[in-house]
Amino acid sequence: MNDHDEDATAEQLPARERRRLQTSRLMQYLLLQALIVAACIFALRQSLPGPPAQYQVTVFQLIEAGVDRAVTLPYFSPLRNAMNDPPRFTGRFVRPAGEAAQAWSVFLPRFTNGVEVTVNGVVILDSRRDPAANRPDRNTPQIAVIPASVLHDGANDVSIRLFIWGPISGFLDRIWVGPDELLRPSYNLRTLIFVTLPVVFSSWQAILAVILGIMWVMRRHEPAYGVLAAAMAVGVAQAFLQTPMGETPFSRLNVILISSAPIESGLVLTFALLFSGWKWQRYGWIIFIPGVLLALAGLFGNQATVRALFLYLAVPMVGVSLLIMAVVTARSMLKRRNVASLLLGCAVTIMLTCWIVDLLSVFQMMPNRIFTARLSYSAMLVAIGAGLTWRFARALNQVDGFAGRLVTQVREAEEKLKASFAREEERARAAALARERTRLMRDLHDGLGGQLVSIVALSERGNGSAGIGDAARAALKDLRLVIDSMDDIGGDLMLALGSWRERAMAQLRPHDIALDWRAVTAQGLPVHPELRPWHVIQIVRLLDEAVTNAVKHANAKRITVRIETLAGADRLDRGCITVEDDGRGFEINSDGAAAGAIKAARGLRNMRSRAARCGAELELSSCERGTRVRLTLPHRFPDSDGAAG
Amino acid sequence: MNSLDDEPKMEAITVVLVEDDAPTLWRLQDALAKAGYQVRAAGTLTEARACLAQGAPKVLLTDLQLPDGHGVDLIRETRQRFPDTEIMVISILGDEESVISAITVGATGYLLKDAFPTDIAATVRDLVAGHSPISASIARFIVRRTQNTPEPPPGPALNTARLTPREIDILWGIAKGFSYAEIASHLGLSRQTVPGHIKNIYRKLEVHTRGEAVFEAVQQGLIKL
Repeated sequence: MNDHDEDATAEQLPARERRRLQTSRLMQYLLLQALIVAACIFALRQSLPGPPAQYQVTVFQLIEAGVDRAVTLPYFSPLRNAMNDPPRFTGRFVRPAGEAAQAWSVFLPRFTNGVEVTVNGVVILDSRRDPAANRPDRNTPQIAVIPASVLHDGANDVSIRLFIWGPISGFLDRIWVGPDELLRPSYNLRTLIFVTLPVVFSSWQAILAVILGIMWVMRRHEPAYGVLAAAMAVGVAQAFLQTPMGETPFSRLNVILISSAPIESGLVLTFALLFSGWKWQRYGWIIFIPGVLLALAGLFGNQATVRALFLYLAVPMVGVSLLIMAVVTARSMLKRRNVASLLLGCAVTIMLTCWIVDLLSVFQMMPNRIFTARLSYSAMLVAIGAGLTWRFARALNQVDGFAGRLVTQVREAEEKLKASFAREEERARAAALARERTRLMRDLHDGLGGQLVSIVALSERGNGSAGIGDAARAALKDLRLVIDSMDDIGGDLMLALGSWRERAMAQLRPHDIALDWRAVTAQGLPVHPELRPWHVIQIVRLLDEAVTNAVKHANAKRITVRIETLAGADRLDRGCITVEDDGRGFEINSDGAAAGAIKAARGLRNMRSRAARCGAELELSSCERGTRVRLTLPHRFPDSDGAAG
Repeated sequence: MNSLDDEPKMEAITVVLVEDDAPTLWRLQDALAKAGYQVRAAGTLTEARACLAQGAPKVLLTDLQLPDGHGVDLIRETRQRFPDTEIMVISILGDEESVISAITVGATGYLLKDAFPTDIAATVRDLVAGHSPISASIARFIVRRTQNTPEPPPGPALNTARLTPREIDILWGIAKGFSYAEIASHLGLSRQTVPGHIKNIYRKLEVHTRGEAVFEAVQQGLIKL
C-alpha cells in the first residue's frame, strides 16, 4: 500500500549490479520458501500418535454395492454418493476375560463422510448427529463408549456403515476398539488439533474481521483492508455454520456461505494484489467468477450439485489463488523488502504445500486422508495479524518521530519568531527615535539654534558682553549634545565619545589646553546593547563637567582622557573612562564635596549624581599635581532611572 | 585639481560667503577678513549668484536656508560651473541633515556658525590645502548607511556603494573619536594620506546628475524598473 521501503542504495547502482543483487535476493527468498516446504512436508509426514496397536482393528468384511469381500483398513471407497446403500464393514474384536470392569470404546480417527457403528447388533454411534463431523474438510475423530451390557468376553462383532455424500470419495481409517482410558488420549489430541484449534483460529479470524473492518472504515483510501475484512468475515461464516442436513428456509443461504471458499480465496487474492501495489482493474472480477457460479448453484440447484461443483470450482480456485499470491508476494518482497510481505509470502508457501498434499490425498495418492489446507490457513491469519501489528507499530514510531521533529521545528520557529519580533521591535523603536530626532533637529535648527548663534555673534561685536557669548555657546554645545545623544549608536559608547572629543577640543582650543586622547585597549569600551540616550547624556555631561572644572578652576595646561576596558574580579568586562588634568587640584572633604569654590563643589555633586543614575562608579582624587576623575561603567546599564535622587 | 595650492599665493584667496542672518554674516566675514581672505558677502541666493557672476571664487561658504531659495541649489550650480571651487556649508548644529544633503551636491565640508574666529580661518585654510573637515557624527552617519538594514534610517538619501572597505574603516575611526594619526597607524597608512581619503569619500558620495542619481538608485536596488 503506502510502504516505501525500497532500498534507496539499490536505486543508485548500475543496472547490471542491480540485476545481480535482485537475483541474489530472489535466490535467498526461494531458498527460504523451499526450507518452509520441506519443513511442512516433514511435519505432515509425522503420523499422530495412536493407541496401542493391539487394539487396532483393520481386517473387515466389506459389503459394497452388492459385492462382499475382505478389506484392510484404511480403505478408500470409490463411491461418491452412497446414502441409500452405504458400504458396510463387518469385523471382529476380542475382549480378554477379566476386563469387564473397564469401559471399552470404539475410536474412529478419520472417516468421510459419516459413520454408524454397531457393536453386537446395537448401534452405539452415529456421526451424522455431530455437525462438526459432517464437514469432510475437517478431520473430526469420533469415539463411543460401548455399553457394558452389550459387550461380552471373547469375540465381539463390530459393524460400520460408511455414509458417503460427496463431494469426495468415501474413506475409513483404521479403527481402535479397546479400553476407553487407552483410546481417549489419542481421541483428545485429535479433537484438540482438528476441532478446538480451528475454532480458536476462527475466533481470531472474527476479531481480525472486526479490526480490519474498522481500519477500512477509518481509512477508506486503502480498500485492501476492506477486502481482507470481507475475506475474514466469509471465513468466519464458513467455520461456524453447520452443514444443512435437510431443507430449511435458510439452508440455501447456508449452503452458499459454507461453499464460499472460492469467494474467500478470491478476496484474499485481491487483498494480496492490492497490498503489493496493484491497482484494481475491471477485469479483476474474473477472480470472483467461480465463487459467484457456486453461489448461484447453491441458490438454484440442490446440495448435491453444489458439492459436485465445489470440487471442480472451489478447490482449483483456492490453488490458483495461492499460486498467484505466491508470485505476487515474492515480487512485493523483492521490491519493497518489508516484513509484512515476507510473512505473507511464507504463509502462502505453507498453505500451498498443504493444499497440494490435500489434493494428493483427495486423489488417494496419500496413505491417509488428513486435510490440512484449512488448518494451514491459520498461518495466513497469524501472518496477517503480525503484519498488521508490525505496520501499526511502525506507523506509531513514524508518528512519534514526526511529532518529535514537529515539536523541535515548532520550537525553533517560535524562537526565531521571538528573536525576529524582538529585533523588529528594537528596530521600530530606533526608527521612531530617529524620526523624532530628525523632527526635533529641524525645529531647533532655525529657531533656537539660529538665535543662539546670533547672540554669540552680537556679543562678540559689542565688547564686554563676553559672558553672554559664553553662555550662548555653552547652550549651543548642550543643544548639540542632546541631539547627538539621541542618535542610534548601537550601544557603542565610543561613537558618542567621538563627538564629545570634537566638542571638548573646540572648547579647550581658545584656552590653549591640550587634550590628550588615549584609547588604551584597542576596542575602547565594551558594547552595551542596553545603552539608552539618557545614559549617554548623563555620561557625556559628567565628562563635560570634569573638563569644565579643569578649565575654570584648576588652571590646567593638559587634560588626558584615558579609555579602557577592565576585566573585573567577577570576570565581567567594564568600561573605564579617566579624565586627568595637570592643574592645581582642590581639597576634597570627607563627604566627597570639594572644600573650595562653591561652584566646583556643586559640579562635583552633579557628577556623583549622574554616575549613580547610570549605575557607574565615580572616583575622584585631587592633589597639587592635578585632579583625576575616574568613571567605571557598570557591566549592564540600569533600565530605569531608579537611582535618581 | 589642487596643483595651484602648493604654489606661493600671489594674490588673496577669494571667498564667497552667503548667510542671511546679518550678525552671523558679519562675524564670519570679520574672522575671514582678519585672516587675510578676500570676502564677497551675500545675504540671499540672488546676491550670491551675482557674486559668483564676477568670477570663480576659491572658496564658497554658504548657509542652506536662504530667504529666496535653498543653499543646495547654489552649491550644485557652483559645482557645475566652477569645478575648482571648494565648497563648504555653514551649519548651526553640524547635523547630518544639512551637511549630508550639501555633500551629495558637491560640498566637501562644513563650518559651525559659532566656531571661534581662529577656528573659522583654520578650517578654510585646511580646505584650500585639500583637507576636508569631517565630524564624528557625520562619519557615524555615513558608516551607518554602509551597513545593510532593511529600511534606510531617516534623513537624506545617501549612496555609499562606491566606498571602499578602507574608506569605511577610516570613517569608523573618525566616528569613534580617533585622530588622523591614530587612524593612520591602526590602518597602516601614512598620516598625510588620511585627509585625501576623506576628500575622496566626499567625492564618492556626490550625486552628479539626476540621471546618475536614478542609475545609482537602480544599482542599489532602491528603484525597480
